[in-house]
Amino acid sequence: MAHAGTAHLETSTGIDNKKLLMWLFLASDCLFFGSFIAAYLLYRDRSLVGPYPEDLFDIPFTSVSAFVLLMSSVSMVLALAAIQRGNVRHMQIWLFTTAILGALFIAGQVYEFTEFHHEGLSLSTNLFGTTFFVLTGFHGAHVTIGILILLSLFVVSLRGGIQQKDSQTIELAGLYWHFVDIVWIVIFTLIYLIQP
Amino acid sequence: MKAAFLKLRTLPLGRILPVLVLLALLAILVSGCDTDTPQNTFDTKGEVAEKQAELFYWSMWPALAIMIFVLSALVIMLLRFRERDPNHVPPQIHGNTRLELAWTIAPAVLLLGLGIPVVASIYDLGREPSEDAFVINVTGQRFSWDFEYPEFTDANGDPLVVSSLAGPAHIPVDREVAFYLRSVDVIHSFWIPKLGGKLDVVPNDDNVLWLIADEPGSFSGQCAEFCGLYHADMRLTVVAEPEDEFEAWADEQMAE
Amino acid sequence: MSSIAVPRRSPLAQALKGARHAAENRNSILGWLGTVDHKRIGILYGISSFIFFLAGGIEALLLRTQLARPDGNVLDPDQFNRLFTMHGTTMVFLVVMPMSSAFFNLLVPLMIGARDVAFPRLNAFSYWTFLAGAIFLNASFFTGDIFSGVLGAPDGGWFGYAPLNLRQYTPGHGMDFWMLGIQMLGIASLAGGFNFIVTILNMRAPGMTLFRMPVFVWMTLVTSFLIIFAMPVIAVALFELSFDRLFGANFFNAAAGGNPLLWQHMFWLFGHPEVYILILPAFGIISEILPTFARKPLFGYPFVVFSGIAIGFMSWGVWVHHMYTTGLGTIANSAFGISTILIAVPTGVKVFNWMGTLWGGSIRVRAPLMFAVGTVAMFTIGGLSGVTHSMVTSDYQQQDTYYVVAHFHYVLFGGAIFGLFGGIYYWFPKFTGRYLNETMGHVHFWLMFIGFNLTFFPMHISGLLGMPRRIYTYSGDMGWDMWNLISTIGAFTIAASVALFIVNFMISVRRGKEAGADPWDGRTLEWTIPSPPPEYNFAEIPTVHSLDDFWHQKYREDETGRVVPVLAGGAVETETEHHEEGGHGIHMPSPSFMPLIASLGFPFVATGLMYDYALVPVGFALILIGFYGWAMEPATEEE
Repeated sequence: MAHAGTAHLETSTGIDNKKLLMWLFLASDCLFFGSFIAAYLLYRDRSLVGPYPEDLFDIPFTSVSAFVLLMSSVSMVLALAAIQRGNVRHMQIWLFTTAILGALFIAGQVYEFTEFHHEGLSLSTNLFGTTFFVLTGFHGAHVTIGILILLSLFVVSLRGGIQQKDSQTIELAGLYWHFVDIVWIVIFTLIYLIQP
Repeated sequence: MKAAFLKLRTLPLGRILPVLVLLALLAILVSGCDTDTPQNTFDTKGEVAEKQAELFYWSMWPALAIMIFVLSALVIMLLRFRERDPNHVPPQIHGNTRLELAWTIAPAVLLLGLGIPVVASIYDLGREPSEDAFVINVTGQRFSWDFEYPEFTDANGDPLVVSSLAGPAHIPVDREVAFYLRSVDVIHSFWIPKLGGKLDVVPNDDNVLWLIADEPGSFSGQCAEFCGLYHADMRLTVVAEPEDEFEAWADEQMAE
Repeated sequence: MSSIAVPRRSPLAQALKGARHAAENRNSILGWLGTVDHKRIGILYGISSFIFFLAGGIEALLLRTQLARPDGNVLDPDQFNRLFTMHGTTMVFLVVMPMSSAFFNLLVPLMIGARDVAFPRLNAFSYWTFLAGAIFLNASFFTGDIFSGVLGAPDGGWFGYAPLNLRQYTPGHGMDFWMLGIQMLGIASLAGGFNFIVTILNMRAPGMTLFRMPVFVWMTLVTSFLIIFAMPVIAVALFELSFDRLFGANFFNAAAGGNPLLWQHMFWLFGHPEVYILILPAFGIISEILPTFARKPLFGYPFVVFSGIAIGFMSWGVWVHHMYTTGLGTIANSAFGISTILIAVPTGVKVFNWMGTLWGGSIRVRAPLMFAVGTVAMFTIGGLSGVTHSMVTSDYQQQDTYYVVAHFHYVLFGGAIFGLFGGIYYWFPKFTGRYLNETMGHVHFWLMFIGFNLTFFPMHISGLLGMPRRIYTYSGDMGWDMWNLISTIGAFTIAASVALFIVNFMISVRRGKEAGADPWDGRTLEWTIPSPPPEYNFAEIPTVHSLDDFWHQKYREDETGRVVPVLAGGAVETETEHHEEGGHGIHMPSPSFMPLIASLGFPFVATGLMYDYALVPVGFALILIGFYGWAMEPATEEE
């Protein structure tokens, strides 16, 4: 992620190379999640044996964890705003808050997976188990990578490595974080809320 | 530099070869079409195969014509516009919008024209089997076919089952036969070329294929979707015969 | 973030820094391992993919030998199935794609007037991940008992259809190697795709507007977009398969209610854009070669560009034509039949424009041109047989027969491989400073052209005579024996032509006729700089005034409309003079080993998933170390 000398040159489009790269990556990732979501929807109601989604889903609980993730997007915005103003201290606080909220979400997911497993749903139980765990698992992996990035940036900033001029680095991390958040909103709506 | 060009020009092979290759290819193509071989898709023995072959000709002749046009145009241009003076730079022509429109629209119209018989044919051959079709349940399994005849049952009410490993499966001639295709393991594809094109045998997704044999005879077919180790050996033979002979065969099979 | 100071230097970091300095010596092994120079990465891509071309070719020769006569017993069915699976997988993922990448790497920065790609280290990461995946995939051969003829390679076909790809039907690790290997290759392609889009959009020299870009750059851009949207789809299919095979999930398990056609939809939703990922780079190459050797600009440049873009879009709407016989129903078959028919329109536009380029030219019949014209001719045949495939119900007869094999070899060998060879003959002087031998080039072309047609044209016939694909043998009474024998003879003719090419390459790279900066009287920017290009490409970033800018520096039209040389147009000389004094002040990115370290992690993870989970964390640790090191080290080492 180090700024190469070339990055300071003006680009043909005026968009920074790394920002363009991040947008392209997110566009590509849309197809990644889209394919998994399509597989889930295709196999919805096709499981031959239980447990079925309606037996397991705890909508209030998942709503809370979805809300936590949503709030982490707010703190991410605040972190970016802080560094753009040059307020490193506030940025650190909000970065850390975002990571903590993300970790809370992951904890919720771990709890949910364990609960489901206790109630007899595993990866190989039925089509629901297969598509649900793999889809939400990959989302969880994305969030985990996001947390790693946030914490790395936090540590770097403690050593004085992120100043106002580096605000784009935070912006890029934020783009990724918001994307993962939006994906969760889609998953939560399609899979938890809209039950046929 | 100049010497090299002269040397190349003395190679008449370069001019004649493409034409020779083209002619040889065409000769091969023409001779290939009317050989009487067991799975020849042009040697049709049933309505479905015949319609499919006809549709193929619809696209094959224009395709051959365009191929000959493009290839000969390329050869002619290479001969006619070959560099004669290394210092000559031809006029720099960047394009021609009318030509572009012409060779965009003309092929589009031609191709969409082809689309009409295609769609008609999809609906024609894609219909459900008719009510009075003779039903055979085909089970594909690695690496054989089972033909189950629900119309022929023994004393216990069990239907007649013939395995492709044991011998040919018989069908009535001049009567629509509906093959209900089921797989117990992986995807296979059921295909008797002289009677008609193939249809896949997909686990959890049953298909039905109807075919009509126009004349009595023995028709060879085989699995057309790679299904594992002995895919090549997953062959079958269908014997089409008049109704009375067909029923006699069934009785004989039941007796065994 | 050059500002991120890493205050403490561990011994490891010191060692790495030392290695980086050692790698500044470009001819050392460390120099190659740590290189981030797009030209050297391009050369690495080219050489690796050519080696895999030979491997895939040997596989093909074995298959053809088995099929030369009926009831052949050169190979047993198990060997045959594994070899055709590897042949297809190799030629698609390890030959045509990376060889196209070689050209992207070598040429795109030069053609747009840039000093490197946007992300040089990401570029190195692409290459090393590709190489890791490719070696991993081929390592599968040795997991059987190869000396007694038992191969461990995958045996489910390059298309790996479900449910044959499940452990219950393809036991052993062959298909595991396949799914994990392709996953790695996908990561490599994605990284390359992102990099080239950013490079092309952002790194263009002043004045190089999108519509002044050479067509090859356009085709690279379209291909890269196809890659970044198609690869995630196959990645998901492969992940699903991995969960099925490794952890007992049910994505393709019919017994649990799964639908095997899900695999086909995903595979071909990736697979059809993939076809254009394979062919568009070759289209780009011949769109450069034809104008140069006809000494005319490309006919209808905007139409060639837009038809390429149109093909890119339409390639997403035709995947079901691989599935006509799966029983999807009349509506799906009709819709996809029409869309497939229509994709022939933009393809035809390209062919006609190439012909328009030759028309009225002053054609120098040199090896690059012969391969380019060969591409147009052979691709036309392949495209036309493609139109016959779009006749849905008649395709019920041709699906999965040798007719299809003939069709796509005309497109991918007659189209892509011929085009890529044309590119090798064309740009070899640029990167070596020497010509490939012209006479050997001609013989190579004719041998390959004849061998190619001998091999694949008869396959049209054997297919129409009802010969299915992927059968390890056939009986003598089917009427297929003569056609198969001809195909086999043709295959060995192709092999001879490739051997001749290797000889030509080996001799010419050392003793070939010396070529200057602009050996072919080229039209694009790469010919303005010395051959081989200096590390920094351009001593001074050029300013572009028009399409085919370099041509306009060399020629102008006089009052009567005749084209005459610009007498003072010694662009090359002036450029060279600049280099004498230039060069020194230009800072290029330092070598880096971090991409290599990160790439090494993938085969560890994959091997671990198959044999011992303990290796999985080792692999992830390597990936993490690589990425963290990458983020922390400055791109340009301070002096």
